[in-house]
Amino acid sequence: MLNCIDNSGATIVECVANLRMKRHGRIGDRIIVVVQKSRSIGDSGPGNASAAAGNKVRRGDIRHAIIVRTAKKVQRKDGMVVRFDDNACALIGKNGEPLGTRINGVVGAELRSKQQSKILSLASMHV
Amino acid sequence: MASTAPSLRPLSSWKGLLRQSRQQRTCIRCLSTALATAPAQSLPPPPPRLRSPFRILNDTSHTSLKRIKTYPPPPSLRNKFPHPVDDWQAYHMKELDPRGSRTRLFDRYNPDVPHVGDILLVTFKTGDPFAGVCLSIKRRGVDTGILLRSRLTLVGVEMWVKVYSPNVKAVEVVKRAEKRARRGKLYYMRKPKHDKGSVEREVEEYLKRRRLIRSGELGVKDPLKSAKNPSAARSGVGAR
Repeated sequence: MLNCIDNSGATIVECVANLRMKRHGRIGDRIIVVVQKSRSIGDSGPGNASAAAGNKVRRGDIRHAIIVRTAKKVQRKDGMVVRFDDNACALIGKNGEPLGTRINGVVGAELRSKQQSKILSLASMHV
Repeated sequence: MASTAPSLRPLSSWKGLLRQSRQQRTCIRCLSTALATAPAQSLPPPPPRLRSPFRILNDTSHTSLKRIKTYPPPPSLRNKFPHPVDDWQAYHMKELDPRGSRTRLFDRYNPDVPHVGDILLVTFKTGDPFAGVCLSIKRRGVDTGILLRSRLTLVGVEMWVKVYSPNVKAVEVVKRAEKRARRGKLYYMRKPKHDKGSVEREVEEYLKRRRLIRSGELGVKDPLKSAKNPSAARSGVGAR
């Protein structure tokens, strides 16, 4: 179970596969997730177009995602070790572009070395 | 009639004939058993007589063998370098911290040494700072590191920073803990009950105060400029 921190509509997703290898996921890894909880569509009324646009996914959808934070320590080349309090990801489409237009929250700077600069630039902060 | 009997096939009385032949066969078997001669046995020649096993003791020929040349071991470096690990540490510390400011800052006998529970601000070479509560200090010579914990955008972030790393530009004490921590490692601060949360406010105050001190408006001597007496500055001790 991971938090989803973009504005695609999903809040909690479950990881079902890691596309790197049959191993634990790290920051920057592409994973397959199932949306478990999403922001409800009916909140702002069916006529509200912006709310409908914000919810690109609904519960039960199978999507690809990129891990952006891990509670497991990540050691960098210069000896620094970073860990976050939660595991989080951002949903992406089949072509690798992020589904959301905004990422709320801090993400790991390892994304740059994993060629995920688009997510890094969308994020409000990186460490 | 009797002479022709074996060459002719009888047209009848097979029984009698077979009996006769059986008796003959038995007779042959008996005979062969009785008269079988044993094959001529060719005995192997007797083995040559072994030499006495004690001849080695009595032999004196081996004393005349050439001696194998041996060489003395290379001279030991143990006396030349009695503490190689310490030398290695000192070599790297001299390289990474030529002025010794980091060593002085994290020296145990420095009265202004940062303790666990203090809020530290680390500035990296890239320019981005990271501030957080110090949970743990690992003193291992050149491998000395500090563990900082903070909260960024409502998410707890922890970072081990190597003090002697060339990527670290400065380590500053933002705020001292009010009370000395009674633990060496403050890992309990990860729990929500004890979490300090964001240190943004403290860092803002510190940076504001530092700006004022540097511009000379506060009338306080800049601790960085008075490098002769680093212990004069109680707060805001920095290592650059």
